[in-house]
Amino acid sequence: MVELKDVSFCYGSDERQEYGENSLSDVNLTIQDGEFVLLTGPSGCGKTTILRLINGLIPHFYPGLVKGEILVDGKAVDSQELYETALQVGTVFQNPRSQFYNVDTTGELAFGCENRGLPEKDIYRRIDDTVSRFGIEKLMDRSIFQLSDGEKQKIACASVDVAGAQIILLDEPSANLDYDATLALRDLILQWRRDGKTIIAAEHRIAYLWDLIDRAVIMRNGKIVWELGKEEKDTLTQDALTEMGLRSAIQEAPSDIGLPLFVEGDKLLRLKDFRFMYHGAKTPVVDILDLTISAGEITAITGANGAGKTSLLSCICGLEKRCKGMLEFEGRSYNRRDRQKLCFMVMQDTGNQLFTESVLEEVLISLPKNTENEKEHAIEILRKLDLEAFLDRHPQSLSGGQKQRLAIACALASGRKVLLLDEPTSGLDYTHMMETADLLKHLQSMGTTILVVTHDSELIHACCTRQYNIA
Amino acid sequence: MAYSAEKAQEKRRGFLDPRTKLALVLVLALFVMGGLGGDQLKGIKTILSVLPFLLLLIERQWKRFARGVAMLIVGYGLLLAMPYLPGILNYLALMCGGILTRFVVTIVMGEYLIATTSVSEFISAMERLHMPQAITIPMSVMFRLFPTIGSEWRSIRRAMAMRGIRLGGARAGQVLEYQLVPMMTSTVRIGEELSASALTRGLGAPTGRTNICRIGFRVADVLLLAGCAFAIVVWILELCGVTLW
Amino acid sequence: MKNENKLKGRDLINIGIYGAIYFVILFAVAMLGMIPIFLPLLSVLVPILGGIPFMLFLTKVKKPGMIFIMAMIMGILMLLTGMGPWPLLTCAIAGILSELCFKSGNYRSAKKAVLCYGLFSMWIFGNYLPLFTDYEGYFAQRADYGQAYIDAVQKLMPLWMAPVLLIACFVCGLLGGLLGRAILKKHFEKAGLA
Repeated sequence: MVELKDVSFCYGSDERQEYGENSLSDVNLTIQDGEFVLLTGPSGCGKTTILRLINGLIPHFYPGLVKGEILVDGKAVDSQELYETALQVGTVFQNPRSQFYNVDTTGELAFGCENRGLPEKDIYRRIDDTVSRFGIEKLMDRSIFQLSDGEKQKIACASVDVAGAQIILLDEPSANLDYDATLALRDLILQWRRDGKTIIAAEHRIAYLWDLIDRAVIMRNGKIVWELGKEEKDTLTQDALTEMGLRSAIQEAPSDIGLPLFVEGDKLLRLKDFRFMYHGAKTPVVDILDLTISAGEITAITGANGAGKTSLLSCICGLEKRCKGMLEFEGRSYNRRDRQKLCFMVMQDTGNQLFTESVLEEVLISLPKNTENEKEHAIEILRKLDLEAFLDRHPQSLSGGQKQRLAIACALASGRKVLLLDEPTSGLDYTHMMETADLLKHLQSMGTTILVVTHDSELIHACCTRQYNIA
Repeated sequence: MAYSAEKAQEKRRGFLDPRTKLALVLVLALFVMGGLGGDQLKGIKTILSVLPFLLLLIERQWKRFARGVAMLIVGYGLLLAMPYLPGILNYLALMCGGILTRFVVTIVMGEYLIATTSVSEFISAMERLHMPQAITIPMSVMFRLFPTIGSEWRSIRRAMAMRGIRLGGARAGQVLEYQLVPMMTSTVRIGEELSASALTRGLGAPTGRTNICRIGFRVADVLLLAGCAFAIVVWILELCGVTLW
Repeated sequence: MKNENKLKGRDLINIGIYGAIYFVILFAVAMLGMIPIFLPLLSVLVPILGGIPFMLFLTKVKKPGMIFIMAMIMGILMLLTGMGPWPLLTCAIAGILSELCFKSGNYRSAKKAVLCYGLFSMWIFGNYLPLFTDYEGYFAQRADYGQAYIDAVQKLMPLWMAPVLLIACFVCGLLGGLLGRAILKKHFEKAGLA
């Protein structure tokens, strides 16, 4: 049983005497054994904070001021060591790239048990058990760097399962997953339901587990605003969810949406001979002889895992040297180097494409040489993207959505006509997703051609006008 | 057939124990690269120099083997071509050839060690050598992060190419700053998340850690370790002025 | 809280994170060191560039032992990459000195942090040690590099270079520390990392 009694929390440390606003205020929550509870709400509502309080990362890893009691099976989490809590609680995190301690999958599964000093025979038996229940034989004994994000997330779940904790926390585990991988994750969660585990999930994308949960806890500004039981939640309409700032509760495969590739009267953009193969791969990941896409529209690029969506963007953007394709646009042919000046790609790790020490500087260095009044010009662009208030902020200190907008600002500053986005709404809540959609529509009205690789059906409905589904 | 972790581990078990590989790296560093030992060790050194290549073949690391051999060929090729090259080229060929021929062997051995040792094998070996957790934990984190740093670095370089950044006067320091800072920022962020995930899985517990990795000395290990010991003994004897042959 | 000063999992992982970045920088620079002209530059470039991750590392150091462990790991890695056992010795000495220095500033003083990194950087001298301990023998063993290589190295590495290199490591460490602090202020503090 997990109990939170009158819990308030704010991040910060004694040493600096700095405390932020309360991340949680007066939260009371009791979760029974075997219950499956969904914590949801807009970004910053405190759902991740609750998970961190339960697994002990607060206050042991993220310092701050905790008030109230957090009890897991009657033990106060904040006064025991993390490795003691690890026996009771297992956590699957959001980012599949960063939660692995080992570089091979089997070692990763064994990790929790090894830390506890269980005998080897015992660990082998536990691994075999998990592998057969989860059906992940094919993923065993592989390097984690060769796995897709969906596969990594399966291993992360399996690793928690091998450790055998009774309480399982899921911290936005689907944020980086595509549609199929999300369904696979759902299957694993179902398995845990059958095993009678206590599951607490913090999620924006609620659709894939909406029918599995016993209770939905909806939060806002560090407070629990609604608690809905199994029957109550099913009576909620889509509009009611939207009003609460929640994502859709209906699963829809992005490839089923079926927008046209182009329609009569569209200006066109043509890709010719786009072929790209990874070193050592036997089949090309991008293989396009001749493809026509609408220019001046927002095209969603969808397709299964490993269909080469991201690679296609890199090729279009001219980042892959070995892709020799030509792009025809507005009566001109663009080779690889030309395309680097025509296209701009907003990557999934937006942080890796921002380099300078301030938001303003970031845009300034993107402006072409000898721009007149460059500072005014830069500020004008930032105003359009709602970033004017952050001129002096360090780009790396911005939130994910803000970084994305800043990258787009740089694209505008450098006068690119084609904007490519890679999963721009992964991990975003409803409001932020809609903001991104509105922004894309605004850019489209300015004449930008936009290609979005996405698995987010809601985003496609909200703004995309064309669709290219890679079979 | 049902998956068996024990059998899979046994099957994956390296040809050599990581400790043997460590000993080989050390001995190679001392004698081949570091150049310790005189005439008496010449023969031993030749055998030692061939070893890493042999090991790569045994473990079917064809690419690494080919790369190592290619570097050696280039190295010796340069040395052979050297007398026929004019002026500065002569000097360059000599230098690069000299360095290649000497360094390749240890580099290949290092590559072999890294390519054929999993992090868990490495930690397991360190634990059996009674290294404290204060050394094994940071080192395992480092080995885990090296590939990550590499991929973050590449992703940043690509982003730079795409951004088409105009560098006022193209100051080298600034380019470096723009690459190093995001690289460090994202590595630290990944490291922090890695840290959080590892701690929720009980890393750092004071109980003795176990390891499912199958390591242990077998015939090949014993032979190679004996070889290493032999080289050291010959070297010490030589230092003491004993002539064996 | 029990045993405040004992190193916990998180501290050890931090050593790993910053150690990895420091080592990657070191390794990248060492690649340049294969060309003789750059050999002495190692004692300049590594301390200066390494200052960036190290100063960030020091903001995470609040307990005794972390700097020393970092130094020892560098020694072990040098051993693994074939620099022989000499760096281990200099790492131990430099590790203890820099540890004591930073401790005397209560793990907080910015000036002591820069000085601490200067002292830490002196471990790099261990990579040159074999050059000076057995000066004649070192070049005799390297005869197959060719006379030109030896001449080039000898021009760059006469015996009086030993103290110069040691001091260079220290001074460049101080410079690297200052650079690290500047980058810390300019980027990492604003980015919320420090």
